[in-house]
Amino acid sequence: MALAIFKGRGSLGTERAQEAFAGYAFIAIPLVLFLIFNIGSLFYSAYISLWRWGILGPTAFVGIHNYQVILKDEVFHTAIKNSIYYTVLVVPIQVALGLALAVTVNQIWRGRTFFRASFYFPSIASSAAITVLFIYIMSADGLFNHLLQQIGINPLTFHNQGDWLGHQDTAMNSVLGLNAWTTSGTMMLFYLGQLQSIPTEVYEAARVDGAGPWTAFWRITFPLLRPAHYLVLTTSVIGALQMFDQAFIVGSPDGNPNYSLMTMVLYLYNATFRQFQFGYASSVGIVLFVIIFTATLIQRRFFGTADWAAAR
Amino acid sequence: MRKWLLLAASAVVALTACGGGGGGGGNFDATKVSGTVVLSGWQASPEEGQALQAAISGFQTKYPNVKVDYQPISGDYPTSMVAKFSAHQPPDVFYVDSGVAPDWIQQGVLQPLDDWASSRGFDTTQFYPGYLNAFKGTDGKTYGYPKDGNTLAMAYNTDMLTAAGVQPPTTYDEMTSVGAAMKAKGQIAYSLSPSLDRILAFIYGDGGALLSADKKSDAIGQPGFKEALTFYLNLFKQGYAKTPSQLGVDWNGKALGEKKAAIIFEGGWLDSYMKGTFPNVNYKWVEMPKGSAGKSTLGFTVSYSIGKDSPHKDAAWLLLTYLTGKDGMTLWTQGGVANPSRKDVPAPAGKDVLVSSASFAHPWSFIPGFSKVNDAFNNAFTAALQGSGSVDDIISKTKAALDQQLSAP
Repeated sequence: MALAIFKGRGSLGTERAQEAFAGYAFIAIPLVLFLIFNIGSLFYSAYISLWRWGILGPTAFVGIHNYQVILKDEVFHTAIKNSIYYTVLVVPIQVALGLALAVTVNQIWRGRTFFRASFYFPSIASSAAITVLFIYIMSADGLFNHLLQQIGINPLTFHNQGDWLGHQDTAMNSVLGLNAWTTSGTMMLFYLGQLQSIPTEVYEAARVDGAGPWTAFWRITFPLLRPAHYLVLTTSVIGALQMFDQAFIVGSPDGNPNYSLMTMVLYLYNATFRQFQFGYASSVGIVLFVIIFTATLIQRRFFGTADWAAAR
Repeated sequence: MRKWLLLAASAVVALTACGGGGGGGGNFDATKVSGTVVLSGWQASPEEGQALQAAISGFQTKYPNVKVDYQPISGDYPTSMVAKFSAHQPPDVFYVDSGVAPDWIQQGVLQPLDDWASSRGFDTTQFYPGYLNAFKGTDGKTYGYPKDGNTLAMAYNTDMLTAAGVQPPTTYDEMTSVGAAMKAKGQIAYSLSPSLDRILAFIYGDGGALLSADKKSDAIGQPGFKEALTFYLNLFKQGYAKTPSQLGVDWNGKALGEKKAAIIFEGGWLDSYMKGTFPNVNYKWVEMPKGSAGKSTLGFTVSYSIGKDSPHKDAAWLLLTYLTGKDGMTLWTQGGVANPSRKDVPAPAGKDVLVSSASFAHPWSFIPGFSKVNDAFNNAFTAALQGSGSVDDIISKTKAALDQQLSAP
């Protein structure tokens, strides 16, 4: 069929059409799977969201009722606030950290592979395992508080009495710090790839013109990393808005302490697997999709597309 | 002649409906049942697996024509089961936690058992009501029989209390005085969970409740609820208690083992932990302290239930009733990993308090959608504990969440 289309257009020769056909044939299976399980499930989820839908299927058509319930649910409002708060803070931190690590690693010649692997390790390690370790480190009787005591700071004098993960004022910020660290390695890799594509002649010319390292970074490196900025920011924002596992492990499914760890995806998980309200959970998923899609469009507006070819 | 033919045909239809795929029971003959039954559940420890294998072996000896295919589920059990229910391919017999039972009953994925129990002669009166009632739906039908049960009781570090010169408290007032005495000696008396699955035992003790007896309206405004809540919160405010998180541990058992607190309120799961992790810490079980309304505790249990879509219901019934019957439960609880939910099964050594407390236990099982109520309470309690809420806030938020679930269609 693809062959017929290309022949019909007349702009492609038979050879190119056959090549295109072969290309489409190669991606046909993954494309069909993608259409069914990603795009198809998106539309199916939108359909389910209009129903009261239980474990065994639909029980009643409710129209936009599920969306009305979401809009009135204070816990969901808290989940949105928490997710946005987390995203607004964690994205700049992990992007800045990733960029700093990339620039540093890019300038190291001896042991570059070691440092690159070291910085990237937290990103590929199991987030559950790292979170469990983090809980031990940050517990009231943990390593972090012991280190504070070593430098003369008594954690008990803090508002949270050293209970970083159990107190509503510090739980989310602690998780935020953890994730900024673990995710920065991935950001570093994105930036490193783009950094290595910047020709050295540009820097040599800048040096001849008297530019120092700081000026070279802001006038050359940073602007030429624009395609990477878009990619990094988009993936960071999407990942941050979908934060689930760390909140689930640190705060348990209920979002405690005082819903400070209730994120949008944790709320969705609860609606699905603790309340078994699949219609309602689907409407939460659609709202989450709209929020992420809007955030991505806004970023695209400000940072353009990931036009790697143009950068080169 | 035609009339006789019609009668004969009706009889054949009726008999067909009663047999095979799982109808009723007047003609049920256990010796003629055969096939393979899939049994699923989670497995907390290798010891639990061994105890269950012992019970399954007992079943195979009694019913050699029925094979048991044991398929434990690792990972997130409710998630796995939901997928199986949705595909209409549940295991024949499986665990159902009392906390999730109302939801699964409402969703229609469990088989009601009452008709079979009466027609096939299975005696359910030996189950402690605090456990059996956890698996009753709003229609009054029973959707599972408790395979075992655990109650909350008070575990205290004998050495710490002796050193402080105090006796284990038997009433809420004594809890306060013991807390004060230990605080005077620079010790924390209680490690307390800031969660409904512990606090509710104290609420019942003061005569309060979450729900009316028929589970159709909330009972939060009745006397006892606010009093118990205030008492529990004050234990923290007066410095007599801390949460596990404040003590730098992940649960109360560890606080007892590390001697960060002298008294905790937990269930039988503590014993294997203490034996394995803190074998040299001396502790004892006693009943929960009495409130103004008398003795109370919570009963946590798990049932064996049969899937509505199970293709082997007769064989599943045999396995279910064997495992929750006297013989099967005796084999299961002899493994030392569980306490009986039946009065006619003896308590394992050292578990007397936990077993006898079942006689005054309230089931940890409420209404569909209860997890939202539980979450509302827990988060409001934590807020109050950390100074951004009050007892009235806890009550109003819990009541709002409860009323929302009660009015849900």
